[in-house]
Amino acid sequence: MTLFLVALGIITLIAVLMYNSLIGKKNQVENIFAGVDAILKKRFDLIPNLVASVSQYMEYEKSTLEKVTELRAQAMKPNLSNEQKISLDAKLTSALGAITIAMEAYPELKANENVMHLQRSLNEIEEQISAARRAYNQAVTDFNNAIEMFPTNIMAGWMNLQRRKVFEITVSERQNVDVNALFNR
Amino acid sequence: MKSTSELTDFYYKELYPSLEELEKTRVEIVSRLQWYGGMGVVAFLLTAIWLGKNIGLFNPLSMATFLGFFAIGGFTYRFMTQGYAKDFKTKVITPLIGAIDPHLLYNPDFMISQHLFERSKLFNHSIDRYSGNDYVKGSIDGVPLEFSDIHAEYQTRDSKGRTQWHTLFRGLFLVAEFNKYFKAKTVILPDQAEKSFGTLIGGWLQSHNFSRDDLIRLDDPAFEKAFVVYGNDPIEARYILSHSMMKRILEFQKKVSYPLFISFVQNHIHVGIGTKKDLFEPAIFTSLLDYKQAMEYINTLRYTIGIIEELKLNEKLWSKV
Repeated sequence: MTLFLVALGIITLIAVLMYNSLIGKKNQVENIFAGVDAILKKRFDLIPNLVASVSQYMEYEKSTLEKVTELRAQAMKPNLSNEQKISLDAKLTSALGAITIAMEAYPELKANENVMHLQRSLNEIEEQISAARRAYNQAVTDFNNAIEMFPTNIMAGWMNLQRRKVFEITVSERQNVDVNALFNR
Repeated sequence: MKSTSELTDFYYKELYPSLEELEKTRVEIVSRLQWYGGMGVVAFLLTAIWLGKNIGLFNPLSMATFLGFFAIGGFTYRFMTQGYAKDFKTKVITPLIGAIDPHLLYNPDFMISQHLFERSKLFNHSIDRYSGNDYVKGSIDGVPLEFSDIHAEYQTRDSKGRTQWHTLFRGLFLVAEFNKYFKAKTVILPDQAEKSFGTLIGGWLQSHNFSRDDLIRLDDPAFEKAFVVYGNDPIEARYILSHSMMKRILEFQKKVSYPLFISFVQNHIHVGIGTKKDLFEPAIFTSLLDYKQAMEYINTLRYTIGIIEELKLNEKLWSKV
């Protein structure tokens, strides 16, 4: 009888520890995502200024600028899921990257102090976003590991926890910059 | 900043007159030390024989006498080399630091304040004895920095009430302004646990270290293997420790080959290099003109001041323009 009680006690303790560690990991993911979100919002605030100041110069990139504005509007909609935010962020990053590269072709933009300041702020925020993405990916990896590894996966199954998606590096970021193409434009 | 070969040239050409003069003093001191040392040994042996015959070698009185001999010996050594050490610092180390960068000031008797040392959060233990010397302050490429030798100790009492001193940190301690703004605390320590217990158990121990902030696992396997990182903001820790920064720290670690302690607190980087010895002290029994000896002084100064270039702290980032 006592042996049974001791075994029951140990099993309960292990179950509680497993449950708490899973909840801790889930909350960590959400907590860091809130941080990611805050930095993404900083970038949203910068975009209208940037678009307004470069649009008068960049005649040929109107479509890219419009795309950025549109993506920003989409990303700022309420009630987006984390997955949707992640995919919109990737699109926005690559569109902004395209603008940055295109700006190289306009010497008058580089002479504009205001634009250069915006550009610097944007670079700074990109760096923060990159750090936030890495932090989020680590938290998601910890979480995904926990819900897939034995024995926590059994508990995770009962708790109905689902795998989360990590931020992926967009295809354009992964490609090396083709210096030749830049010179030959 | 000047290269090592330029500094070696400076050491042998510009400093040659002072080196020669100091070298003479050194040789005199060595011969005097040998003379006194010889007499001391003879006196010691005679006393030991006399004591051994009369009251026994392990008698408390004999022990006390032996201790007295060692104390007198140590005191004489210090007394005789003190002036030489001081001369060495003013005539060799001071111009050498000036040659590295004229914006650097040197004070042989001063040290990094205990407040800065504690602010770094690198060592959690309370400090009972704090000392140091060879303080350098100034700026390199517009980056304010200061460093000095530090010896921080704490005290414990055993069951018999005897006090024992333990070294918490001994080596070079540097504080410099960091080129990014941040609010959080991030501490990087040598990875002891994973080295001694393996990744699985060591990793578990590290994540349950209650005296530290949360464990931060980074996405650079080589860096993770060499260091363990604690911090109170996982996003800011990665903002500071970008991929390139982690690489630079690893490179620096390879160069210095002493345990490296780094922390980022209040917009400053704090670096402790655990050399376990007092730097810039003249070696009495080696010639000042000895190439190896000269290189040690020059290299220590160069890699310490070189941290600024090595970690690219002089590259102003967008936010700090």
